[in-house]
Amino acid sequence: MSIVSIRNVSKDYMLGKTVVPALRGVSLEIEKGEFLSLAGPSGSGKTTLLNLVGCVDTPTAGTVVVDGRDTSRLSERALTELRLRTIGFIFQSFNLVQVLSVFQNVEFPLLLQGGLGRRERRDRVLALLDAVGIGSHARHRPSELSGGQRQRVAVARALVTRPALVLADEPTANLDSKTGANLIDLMKEMNRRDGTTFVFSTHDPKVMSHASAIVRIADGQLVGREAVGGDAAAAEGR
Amino acid sequence: MSARTDALRVLLRIAFRNLAAARVRTAIIGAIVLGGAFLVVLGSSLMDSIDRGMRTSIQGSLGGQLQVYSAASKDPLELYGGLRGEPQLEPIEDFSRVKEVLSRVPNVKAVVPMGIDQAMVATGNVIDVALERLRADVRRLEEGDRSPEALRGYEARKAHVRRLVGLLRDELGQALAIVDLEGREAEERRREWADLTNAASDGFWAGFDGDRYGHLELLENRIARLSMDGSFTFIRYVGTDPDAFFRAFELAQVAKGEMIPKGHRGILVGKQYAEEWLKLKNARRLDLIKDARDRRGRRLADAKDEELQRWVRENQRGTKDILQQLDPLQAEEAARRLRAALGSEAAGEDLPALLARLFRVDDANFDARYRIFYDQLAPLLRLYLIDVGDTITIKAPAKSGYFNSVNVKVYGFIQFRQIERSGIAGMTSVLDLLSFRDLYGYMTKERAAEIARLKGAVGAKELAREDAEAALFGGGGPLEGRAATARIDERSLLEGARAPGPAQDPAARTYTQEELDRGVALNAALVLHDPAKLEATRRDVQAAADRAGLGLRVVDWHAASGVVGQFVTTLRIVLYVSLLVFFGVALVIVNNAMVMATLQRVTEIGTMRAIGAQRRFVLVMLLVETATVGLAFGLAGAALGGAAVWLVRAAGGIPATNDMLNFLFAGPALRPVLGGASVVVSLVIVVVVSVLSGLYPALLAMRVTPVEAMATED
Ligand SMILES: Nc1ncnc2c1ncn2[C@@H]1O[C@H](COP(=O)(O)OP(=O)(O)O)[C@@H](O)[C@H]1O
Ligand SMILES: [Mg+2]
Repeated sequence: MSIVSIRNVSKDYMLGKTVVPALRGVSLEIEKGEFLSLAGPSGSGKTTLLNLVGCVDTPTAGTVVVDGRDTSRLSERALTELRLRTIGFIFQSFNLVQVLSVFQNVEFPLLLQGGLGRRERRDRVLALLDAVGIGSHARHRPSELSGGQRQRVAVARALVTRPALVLADEPTANLDSKTGANLIDLMKEMNRRDGTTFVFSTHDPKVMSHASAIVRIADGQLVGREAVGGDAAAAEGR
Repeated sequence: MSARTDALRVLLRIAFRNLAAARVRTAIIGAIVLGGAFLVVLGSSLMDSIDRGMRTSIQGSLGGQLQVYSAASKDPLELYGGLRGEPQLEPIEDFSRVKEVLSRVPNVKAVVPMGIDQAMVATGNVIDVALERLRADVRRLEEGDRSPEALRGYEARKAHVRRLVGLLRDELGQALAIVDLEGREAEERRREWADLTNAASDGFWAGFDGDRYGHLELLENRIARLSMDGSFTFIRYVGTDPDAFFRAFELAQVAKGEMIPKGHRGILVGKQYAEEWLKLKNARRLDLIKDARDRRGRRLADAKDEELQRWVRENQRGTKDILQQLDPLQAEEAARRLRAALGSEAAGEDLPALLARLFRVDDANFDARYRIFYDQLAPLLRLYLIDVGDTITIKAPAKSGYFNSVNVKVYGFIQFRQIERSGIAGMTSVLDLLSFRDLYGYMTKERAAEIARLKGAVGAKELAREDAEAALFGGGGPLEGRAATARIDERSLLEGARAPGPAQDPAARTYTQEELDRGVALNAALVLHDPAKLEATRRDVQAAADRAGLGLRVVDWHAASGVVGQFVTTLRIVLYVSLLVFFGVALVIVNNAMVMATLQRVTEIGTMRAIGAQRRFVLVMLLVETATVGLAFGLAGAALGGAAVWLVRAAGGIPATNDMLNFLFAGPALRPVLGGASVVVSLVIVVVVSVLSGLYPALLAMRVTPVEAMATED
């Protein structure tokens, strides 16, 4: 069963009076447990597509169904709620809250969700920090960490609510290639451990090679979908 | 449940940390907020204290809680005088009616009649005083006292008067030399000059013992009146029922002398007025220096303190007043005492040198010199031009346009506790209401008509009013107990002091409560049982007055105080307007700072929105931030304001450097009290202003979309 179902989606941006078509009739199914890479050159529409999947934006035409819900029919509130409960985000520039410690950054989504007691939150955050290899830095501020460490914190923050889907827009773009590779390994490990679905964009072929499947995008259209390294069979785009 | 409070905690944490992270911005906003809270607390505490002080002063001195006066009056009532003199009030024709009606209004405790006005009062001068003493000596001699002591006194007094006449002749000789005169006036001046020359001549004094009373009368009637200095001064008085006045105004007290006996005519002179206008200048200056040193911490050694230096200089130079007051015997005694008190250096000096030495004061010797003056010298001197026990002549322009005059006895000096030094209340003397009526000279319509009829009967168009009244009152001189009426003429004005009208012994004339109540008053003070119910009672009084057809206007003490009340109202408006401007500017500055801060945090806010924070969360987060600054720095500012109030109190308060302030502060210094309300109000204002100024940036932040988290610069 697919966690994300994109059907014939178009997205136009208005740049002054001219219409910029960022996506043109894209259809894509993302299955639970996938570790999917979105590949394409700069300006091809990767970020636009991830924003639609991540419910931070809505399509101009077509439908985006996330976890069984049509995002175009949801209110702003409901979309926010959907993001909070179902989706985790990893950003290119990490986007940690500078004034909060590593622990507090990771704990933050749990506080937004509510429902967990202090002790449960603490256990879960610490376990996750250990899992991403940053447990010893729980009390540090983001500014005291390296880029790789910060992105690990971001991974932990994305995973702490145990979302069904984690989206990462060029998560390695601000890291050197070795650190980038390590991060993708970490994400893949999390994917294997919990079965969390990962979708990440990149234009780095080395990074792509870790994916279970690669969806290629060019000029706002899907140009192909391929399975990598004999992983699970992949559905064809279009 | 815990998750909500935890979320709130994280909000606060983010707010605090953001504030800590942006130190400069927080410091600027904080300083503004702190300053605002400080100003509100300090300002409103001072203002409240001034309000309280003013209420004490006005209600306790002349105001009571309410005042009534004729609704037909052109001007509003101004108890302490207006900028253009006393207000023009129409008279209340029959005070007893007012008293009867208004006393019955619930909550009204007392109704005190008043008539406030200014008049001239003859103060007498050195020659008068010396002649008075000489007359006493002459009387003793004529009664047969031939003791050596009496004779010595008599000779000394005679020498004193002779010296003064000589001085007067020198003075007038100079004046004559510079004026050339013509006609009738010149003739009169020549006659005066001849009198003076005669009185100063050896022959006159050689013949003195031959006809003592004859010589004395010539001096009293022809010579003393030629001395112009210190001849009259202005006095402001409230004519009232003295007993009712003291019962109603608890701050009033007799500072010297005694209360005007019930049913007697008399005056209690305002103590502060006496100090400023009637006291011997040297003594007054010593008092001022003492006050400056003791209460203001000023020092004689301070060469820049021009005023202090001037007082000391003038005291050394201006000893003429003292020297002229003393007859040879007294002068000798004064010199003896000063030589003893001033030590060996002064051994061979004469009185003028001794006085100059006495007044050559510095910080080390001042207190000792002050005591020497008051203990040794003052008992030999007349310290006040008008003093307790004197009978004075007061002249005022009456309604008729002529001058009325009354002679009244000075029973004492009056002052108002706490505001002793205030010229506003302390300048006012208390006069019995009957004397006031004589001076006021109000005629009922009937009496005016009668005079007109008499005039017509006499048939002389050019008949002066005084003659008409003389005719009305039975001809001849003014009747006993009746006001004397005279033309406006300075000469005749002065006459009263020297030659009191025949048989006008004021002490002997008494009146009943009935007489006191039945008649004219200009206004009346109402004292209430419960001052808190002021406004309700004001309406009741107005209604009762209207029902009885009294034609009265009823105002509260604040309105009745005129410029004084307006000054405080102005002060309050200035305070509020400046606070308003301050907070207006603060609002703009804080708003701008927070907008910039929000713009810097767009990515962070977008990230929170992407992660799942609702818009409301963002809104509250930003508002909590400004509210936190507001509350934290507001508390600090209020605490500082409270500390400032405490410090001002501990340091003895803000000194009342002038009369107005003394009155407003109800004492020599304003000792502010920190009002709990002012702290609460300041915090509320400050937090409201911070939240308001944070509202727009918070709304901006709320509109940040999660997409903006994705935006990266590269
Ligand atoms: N907010 C926007 N306004 C206008 N045009 C945009 C906006 N965001 C993206 N685009 C345009 O849409 C196209 C796709 O952009 P994007 O999805 O960011 O590509 P990628 O992430 O693959 O680099 C580009 O041509 C880009 O210029
Ligand atoms: Mg992109």
